[in-house]
Amino acid sequence: MRPSRRAPRRTPQIVALGGGGFSMEKDSSLLDDYILSLTSSARPRVCFLPTASGDADHYVVRFYRRFSAHCDASHVSLFRRDQGVGGVEDDLATHLLAQDLIYVGGGNVVSMLGAWRAHGLDSVLRRAWRRGIVLCGPSAGSLCWFAESLSAFHGAPRRVRGLGLLPYSNCVHYDAEPARRAEYHRFVAAGMRAGFAAEDGVALHFRGTLLERAVSSRRGGRAYRVEPACDSVVEVPLDITHLGSDPNLALVDGVDPASGSSETLAPGSATPGPFARLPIGAVA
Amino acid sequence: MSTPAATPPKQRLIFAMGGGGFTMEPSNPLLDDFVLSLAAAHAHLPATDAADAHLSATDAANAPLAGASTANPTRASARTREPRILFLPTASGDTTAQIAAFHARFADRHCVAEHLSLFRLHELRRPLAEIILSQDVLYVGGGSMRNLLAIWRAHDLDRLLISAWRQGIVLAGISAGAMCWFAGGITRSSGQPQPLAGLGLLEGSLTVHADGEPERLPVWLAAVRDGVLPGGWSLDDGVGLLFAGTRLQRIVSSRPGASAQRVDQVAGELVRNRLVPELLGATGPAAALPSMDEDVQELRRVQRLRRTTSSPRGGRLGGY
Repeated sequence: MRPSRRAPRRTPQIVALGGGGFSMEKDSSLLDDYILSLTSSARPRVCFLPTASGDADHYVVRFYRRFSAHCDASHVSLFRRDQGVGGVEDDLATHLLAQDLIYVGGGNVVSMLGAWRAHGLDSVLRRAWRRGIVLCGPSAGSLCWFAESLSAFHGAPRRVRGLGLLPYSNCVHYDAEPARRAEYHRFVAAGMRAGFAAEDGVALHFRGTLLERAVSSRRGGRAYRVEPACDSVVEVPLDITHLGSDPNLALVDGVDPASGSSETLAPGSATPGPFARLPIGAVA
Repeated sequence: MSTPAATPPKQRLIFAMGGGGFTMEPSNPLLDDFVLSLAAAHAHLPATDAADAHLSATDAANAPLAGASTANPTRASARTREPRILFLPTASGDTTAQIAAFHARFADRHCVAEHLSLFRLHELRRPLAEIILSQDVLYVGGGSMRNLLAIWRAHDLDRLLISAWRQGIVLAGISAGAMCWFAGGITRSSGQPQPLAGLGLLEGSLTVHADGEPERLPVWLAAVRDGVLPGGWSLDDGVGLLFAGTRLQRIVSSRPGASAQRVDQVAGELVRNRLVPELLGATGPAAALPSMDEDVQELRRVQRLRRTTSSPRGGRLGGY
C-alpha cells in the first residue's frame, strides 16, 4: 500500500449507526450532518454503497437527495458494473480511495459481505479506513465493520463475521425488535466477543478502534457496551450526546478546511463526556 | 430436508437459456411455457393439466421425460397439485422489475409462482431449505454472475440448489442464471467480459447473448482456446439447452433464425459446430413470432454507444 500523497495522515474513523440517517429519518439530517462534519472538507466526496439492498434504486435516489447539494456524491453498484453506473467503470479501488466518506446502506449483511468479497471490496475498504476515509452506515452498514455481529435478518439470529476493523461485536436496532436484546445477551454470554449495541437514531463514532462518542438524533436514544460476566452479561449504558440540543454539532459549513486536521474538527470535542474514552481498546 | 430422495441422474433436468424469457421477451412466452412443461413433466401432472399450462400438444408429446418415471415416492402426491415454480432474482439484486415481470408471466398460468429474494429474507417465515426443496422448478434470473454465486455461497444456497437438482427439481435460468450451472461462463459482472467459474453441475462452458452482446464471444473463444475454460456452447438470445443429467438432450428456440454453436479446443485449434435449434410453437407461421423485445434492443444499442464513449454514466437499466 502506498502512503497517501495528498493529505497528512488522517485518523481512521467509523460511524456505526444502530439505525437512522437518510435511510430511516426523512425529517432529520442530524446524524448525516454529524458524519459529514468528520470529513476535513467543505465539499466532501461521498460515495454510497447500496450493496446490502441489492442496489435498490429508491435507496440510491434517496442518497442523492440528501447529499448531492452539499457533496460530490456518487454511488457504486456491484450489480450494474457492466453499465458503468455512478461514473465508476472499471477501477473501483481508485474511485473509493479518492473519497472523504464512504456511506454503506442497510439491508442484508450476509449478501453484502459475499458480494464485497467477490469484487475485492473488503480489502479496498480496509485500505480506505487506514487512510482516514470516514466509513459509516446504518444496520448492515454498521455490522460490517465489526469483527462479528448478530444478524437477525432472517429466521434464527446468526453470528456473522464482518470485516473486523473494529475488534468488537455489534448489534443494531436494539430497541426496534425486543428479541434482539435477549439474543445478543445470549450470544455474548455464549462466547461472542464483547461489543456495542445501538438503538435506532444512535451512532457510535470510533476513532481508530476506540469509541470517541455516541451521538443521537433522538432524545432518549440509547446505546450500550455489552460484556460477558461469569455466565451472564453486563450491559453498561453509554453517555449519549443528543445532536439536536447543540446546533454547533450539526454544522458542516462551519468547518475550516484550512486547518487540515480532523482532530480540531471533531464536533463537540471541547466537551468530551466520560464516555469518550471508555477502556474498550483493551478488550479483545 | 429429511427425505432427500435422489433422482436417477438421467432425470435431473437443467434448462439453460442464452437470453429471452419473461425479462427479455415479454410478448413471447414460448421459452417460459417450455420451462413450465418441464415442471409438469417432473410433477407427473395429467395431460389435461399440462394442456392448461399453455403447452402445445406437440410440446407435450415431445417432452422427453413426461411419464418417464413413476418411481419417485416423494413426488407421488404431485398428481393433485399445480407445479410450483420459484424465481430467484439474486443476480439482479432482486429488482422489482424482474420480480414483477416474472409474476406477470406466470400469474395466469397453471402453476404456483413465487419468488425468493435473498435481500428481503426477513419477509420469509419458512426456512430456506423448505422453500427451495418444495419446488418443481427453480428459475434463476439474469444479472451479475459474480454476485449471484457469491451471494448464494454466503447463504449456503449453492449447496441447497445442488440438493434440489439431485432430487429432480428442474433448474432453469437465463444468462447469468444459465451460465452458473456450468463449469464456467463469460461474465460482464465487473465491466469487461471475462471468464468466471460456475457451480460445475454441467461439464463444459457456456456463453450467452451471442447475437445481442457479441463482445462476449471473442473472450469466450480465447478462453476455450487457451484452456482457461473447457469447450462448450454459445447461445443466441432465445435459445435454450435442455440437459438430462449432464447430457445435452434438446436445443430449442423461441425465435426463428436464432442459433447455437458448440466449440471445442482440439490440439490448440478451435473446432466450431453450428447447431440448429428446434423452434418452439412452430405450429403457426414463423413470421408471426415477435422478435426480441424492442426495449432490450434499444438498451443494448445505448450500452454499446456508452462503451464507446470515455465517461459512461448510467441510469437505471434492467440487468441482463
